[in-house]
Amino acid sequence: MLGFPKILHQLHLFEEDSVPYVADLDKARVIELSAVMMDILKLAETQTDDAIVETLSASYEEDDISEAFERFAELEREGLLFNRGEDLERSLATESKWRKLLVVIPGINPDSFFDIETLSAGTNMALAYMIRHLTKYADLHFAGSRNRKIADGVYEVDISIDDLVRLRSKIAETYYGILTLHQEHERWLLPLYRYPEFPPILVQNHAPRGHGGQAINSMLRHYAAMRDCDGFTAPSDYVRDFYAGYVWDPSFFNTLPNGVDSRLFCPMDKAAAKREIAEWVGDERIEIAPTVGYLSRVQSEKGASVYLKLAALNPHLIFMIAGPDMGRYASREVPKNLVYVGFHPREKLPLIYNAFDVYCFPSMSGEETFGLTVLEAMACAVPPVVPNFDGVPSVVGDAGLVADADNFDQDIATLVSYPCPMSFSEKINTLLNNTQVWETFSEKARQRALLFTWDKTARRIVQLFEMLRQKKKLINRNRLLNVFAPAQPVEGEAPEREKCRSVLLSMNTHYERCLMRDAVYPLPVEDGLVLSILKNHTTREAESILAELVTDETEARAILKRVRGLINATA
Amino acid sequence: MVSRQRYQLKRHHKFEQDDRKYVADLETGDLVQVNDVEWEILARYASQTRHRMVERLKGKYKLTAIFEGIERLERLGEQDILLSPIVEPIAPMRANRKQTDRMPKLLVPFHFTQEKSALDYLTGLNRYQFLRHLSAFVELETLAFSEIGEKKEIPDFDEVRVRKVDIPKSSALMAPWYALDGYDGILLLSQFLTEDLFYYRVPDVPVVHCIEGVQQLQHVLPKTLLTLSAFQRSKDTLVVKASWMKEWLAELGVPVENVRVIPDGIDIGAPIGDKVLAKQHTAAIFEKPMFTKQPVVGLISGFEPKRGAAWITAFARANPHLAIFVYDAMLAEHYQHPPENVVIFRADDEETLSVLPIFFQALDLVCFPAMPGTPLSIVLEAMAFGAPCVAMSKYGMPEEVASAGVAVAADWDNFGNFRVPMAELSKTIHKWLKPSQVRGVCENFSERIVQRHTRKGTAGAIVRVFEESFQRETDDFGETERTLFPPIFCRQYEPETGALRSCVYRLGINRDNNDLEEALAEVLAEGHTSAEVASVFKHFQRESPVCM
Repeated sequence: MLGFPKILHQLHLFEEDSVPYVADLDKARVIELSAVMMDILKLAETQTDDAIVETLSASYEEDDISEAFERFAELEREGLLFNRGEDLERSLATESKWRKLLVVIPGINPDSFFDIETLSAGTNMALAYMIRHLTKYADLHFAGSRNRKIADGVYEVDISIDDLVRLRSKIAETYYGILTLHQEHERWLLPLYRYPEFPPILVQNHAPRGHGGQAINSMLRHYAAMRDCDGFTAPSDYVRDFYAGYVWDPSFFNTLPNGVDSRLFCPMDKAAAKREIAEWVGDERIEIAPTVGYLSRVQSEKGASVYLKLAALNPHLIFMIAGPDMGRYASREVPKNLVYVGFHPREKLPLIYNAFDVYCFPSMSGEETFGLTVLEAMACAVPPVVPNFDGVPSVVGDAGLVADADNFDQDIATLVSYPCPMSFSEKINTLLNNTQVWETFSEKARQRALLFTWDKTARRIVQLFEMLRQKKKLINRNRLLNVFAPAQPVEGEAPEREKCRSVLLSMNTHYERCLMRDAVYPLPVEDGLVLSILKNHTTREAESILAELVTDETEARAILKRVRGLINATA
Repeated sequence: MVSRQRYQLKRHHKFEQDDRKYVADLETGDLVQVNDVEWEILARYASQTRHRMVERLKGKYKLTAIFEGIERLERLGEQDILLSPIVEPIAPMRANRKQTDRMPKLLVPFHFTQEKSALDYLTGLNRYQFLRHLSAFVELETLAFSEIGEKKEIPDFDEVRVRKVDIPKSSALMAPWYALDGYDGILLLSQFLTEDLFYYRVPDVPVVHCIEGVQQLQHVLPKTLLTLSAFQRSKDTLVVKASWMKEWLAELGVPVENVRVIPDGIDIGAPIGDKVLAKQHTAAIFEKPMFTKQPVVGLISGFEPKRGAAWITAFARANPHLAIFVYDAMLAEHYQHPPENVVIFRADDEETLSVLPIFFQALDLVCFPAMPGTPLSIVLEAMAFGAPCVAMSKYGMPEEVASAGVAVAADWDNFGNFRVPMAELSKTIHKWLKPSQVRGVCENFSERIVQRHTRKGTAGAIVRVFEESFQRETDDFGETERTLFPPIFCRQYEPETGALRSCVYRLGINRDNNDLEEALAEVLAEGHTSAEVASVFKHFQRESPVCM
C-alpha cells in the first residue's frame, strides 16, 4: 500500500501517440505511464488507497491496479512524482525574494551542524558555526533526499546529487549560489562546472596540501575546471597565498577566516577552572604549578611527539592534554608532568581552556590552515605558542608567540614542518616567567579573538557570492574564428614548411563582423592556440597548456591575458 | 538539401504550465524548460534549415537570442537530449539533383569593381567566358547588398543571375550567412584575400576557389595561397590553371591533395592564310620588316615586370637574329623602348584582341617561363597554329605541352630572380627553329590543343570538382564529435620532486592521464583541420598524435 492521498510534485499529464505520460516538473523527468497509472494519479491527492482501488476496479483488473501501485512505489523510492517529507511548497516557493543558498555537502547529515556535540573535526565545527550565522543573511537549502525544515531558515530539500544537472535551470532560477566543501575524492562537482546555467559555486577549502599532494592536485583540478564565476574560500591569507604559488590567477582563492563564539569562549576565574579540572582528574598539581595545554587528537601529525618532549624539557610545568584518547601514546611511558584530562563536551571546553596558562599548538600536518582551537584559547585569554608554519601565525598575529619550525619545501608523508622543541620551550617559559608579559599577551589574545566573529564570516560569504554573481555577468562565450596557416616565405629564402602562424577572422560564429578594419588578422601561433582552447575550455585550462608549451612563464601569462582581452573586447 | 542540421529532433512533447514552457524528451525521459525563442526553434527544427529558422525568427527575436537558442538546444543534442546527432554522410550532389530535378545552384560571390581594375583584359574575358559556359550546367547566383529603400544599380553579368539581398542598415549578418541558403557549392573567383575567406566557414557547402597566376598579383600570391590553404577543408578545392602552379604550391608547402589543374578554355581565331601572310601582316602592323626576314619567336611572359624587362633585353641581345614578339600584360604599357628586335604587345580591348591570332600565326616558336604569371591559355593559343615550344622550367617539361617542344632548366624564387643559362636557351631555340620530324608532331599537337581546351570542357571539369567534393570524407569540425570522456587540462603537483606538470583529467573515467598531446589534438580538431593541428604541434616541436 502506498498511503494515498499523497502530496504530488508539480506534474503535467499528457498523451502522445495514445501513450500516457507524466512530466514531473520538480524533478525534470518524464515518465511513461499505463492507463491505470494515469487514472490513479488523477485521484492520488484526494483519495485513499482503498478508495482508489474501489473507484478503478470497475474499469481495470485487480492485477493491473496492484502492478500500478508497485510501479508507483518504485518511482517514489527514486524520489519521483510524490513529495518526500514535508509539504514545503510555500516556504520554498521560488517567488520569494529572500536569497537562498543551495548547500551541497554529500556524506554529511545536515542535522549534525545543529547538534555540535556530534562533530569532532575542526572543519565540521567551523562549518557548523558558519552555517548558523549564515542564516541571518540567506535561507540555506541542504541538498538531500526529502523536504523538511531543520531550523529557522534552514531546510533539507529533495535534490539529490544526481538531480543537480537535470535541475540546473531551476537551480539557477531559485538559488543565489551553491555552497559546497572541497572533498578530495568527489565525483559530482567537477562535471557541474561544465554547465553555464548554474549560479556561482563557492567551494570551501580546508586542506591546503596534505595527503601526499593529493589535496593540492584535487584543488588544481577544480581550479582548472571552474567557470569564471566560481571560486574557493581559504581560511587564511596564508592558504590563499600558498595556492597563489601554484596558479596564475590567485583571485580564485578568497580568504574566509573562521570565527569564534567569544561569548562561550571567554575568560573565567582561572584558579576556579584549574581547581575544577584538578578535581576531575584527581591531580592537585594542576592547581599549584603553571599549566600548558594541548587540545587535539593525540597523534604525530598534530605534534603529540613534540608535546611530549616539551613536557620532558620542562618538569616544572604541568602539560595537560585534552583529546578523545591518548592514542598510541597510551601504551608508552610518558613524562610524569603530563596529565591527560579526557574528552569533554563542547560546553566544557571553555573551562578546560581557562585551566591552561599557555596554549601550545605544535601541529605540523600539511592540512593545518587556521587552527580553530588556537582562536578558542585566545578568546579565553590564554596566550598561545604556535609554530612558524602555515596559516596559524596569521591568526595569532602579535597576540602570542611564534616558535621556530623547520618547514619542508616538499610534503614528506603528509608532514610539511617540524616545530623546534627548544624554541617552543623557550617561548613557553618567556610567557610563564614574567607575570607582566603573560598579562599583556593574555589581554592581546582576547582582544584579537574578538576580531574573529562568525557573523563576519557569514557576511563575507554573502559578499563573495555577490562578487561571483558580478563575475558571471561578465562571462562571454568565445565565438571568434581562427585558423593555423603556414608562414609566409621570406623574399629570397626557400619556404620553410615547419613555420606556422595563426590568422584571426573578423567574422565570428554568429556571422557577425566583429572587427571592422580587415578581414583577417595575423596572430602568433600561441595566441591562436589559446583562442581555440578557450572555445570550450577555461582560461585556467589554457594556463595548464601554456605552462607546458611555452618555456617563458612571463610570456605565457602575457599571451593568456591578451587573448582574454581580445575575446572580451569582441564579444 | 545542403547546409543541413547536424542534429535531428527526437520524439518529444511540448507544453506550457504556469507561464513556463517545457519540452519533454520521450526517449530519455528528460524534461527541459525552454524560453520563447527555443520553443519556436524546436517547432521549426525538423523542417527548416538553420538559415531559414533564423531568417523567419529574426523579425521577432534578436539575432543573438536565436543563435544562442540554437546553440543551447544543440548542446543538449550533444547529450542526446531533445536532439540527437546525425551521423550519416551528406548525400552527393548528383544524387540530389536526381531527387529534386534541378540544376545545382552555385554561389559566386564577386567584387566587380576591385577585380576589374586589378586584372588584365584577357583574364577578365576568360572569366566571363568561363561563367557563361558554366551556366549551362549549373545555376549561378551572386549576392549584392543594398540598404533597404536604396536604389542601387547592380551590375549585370549576363547569364550570372544577380540575386539581390536587401539588408537593413544595422544588419549584423555578413554575406557568408546567405551562402547557407540552399547552395550546393560556392565558387570563389576573387584573387584577393579578403571577405572571401569567410565562405570557408560556411558549414557543409564545398568551396571551389579558382586562382589566377596573374602578374599583377604575384607579390601577394604566396601569402594569399598559404592562408587560403589553411582555410581549406577536405571538401574544398583549389583550382589552378597550369601544372606549374601546382608544382609551385607543393614547393611552397601547400598540401596539394585538393589542388586541381583546370586550364582555361581557349579561343582560336581563324587563320588568315598561311604563315608567310601572317608574318607580313605582323611586320606591317609593327612597322618592323624583321618579322618577314628573321625567325619569329613568341615569348609569353609571366615575369615580374621590372626584372622581366631586364631579362627580355638580355634575351634579345643574345639572339639578335630573332624577331621577338613578347606578350606581356604589364610591360606592353610600361616598357617604352625595348631592343630593336623586340615588340611587346597585349590585348586590352576587342580590337587589339582581334589581331592577336595574326601574330600567333606568325610565330615559328613559342618560348615561355613556366611560372605563376605566365597564362597557360595564351601559351596554348600561341601554339595553336603549329609552333613548337621551349619552356623555361624548374619543374621539367609542363605536361600541358609535353609532346610539343622541350624544356630548358630554369630557376626562380619569389618570381623576381628568374635565371636561365642564356647560351643553352639560345642553342635550344636555334635547334627547334629548324624544320624536322618534330614539327609534324607539333602540328598534330596543335589540333589536340583545340579539342582539349574548350570552354565547355573547363566548365564541365569544375562541375565535376563540385560533385567529387561531396564524395570526400568530411572533416567539418564536428560540433557532434565531442569526446566521450571530456578532458580537463590541469596542473599536477608531484610530491616526489615538488614540481608542477600539466596533465589531463578525464571526466567520466575520473582519472589523470598523461595524454596532453592527444587531448589537445582532440580539442583543436573541434575547430580545425588535421593539417592545421599538425602544424601547431610542429610549431611547438611536439609529436602530433594526428594521423595525416
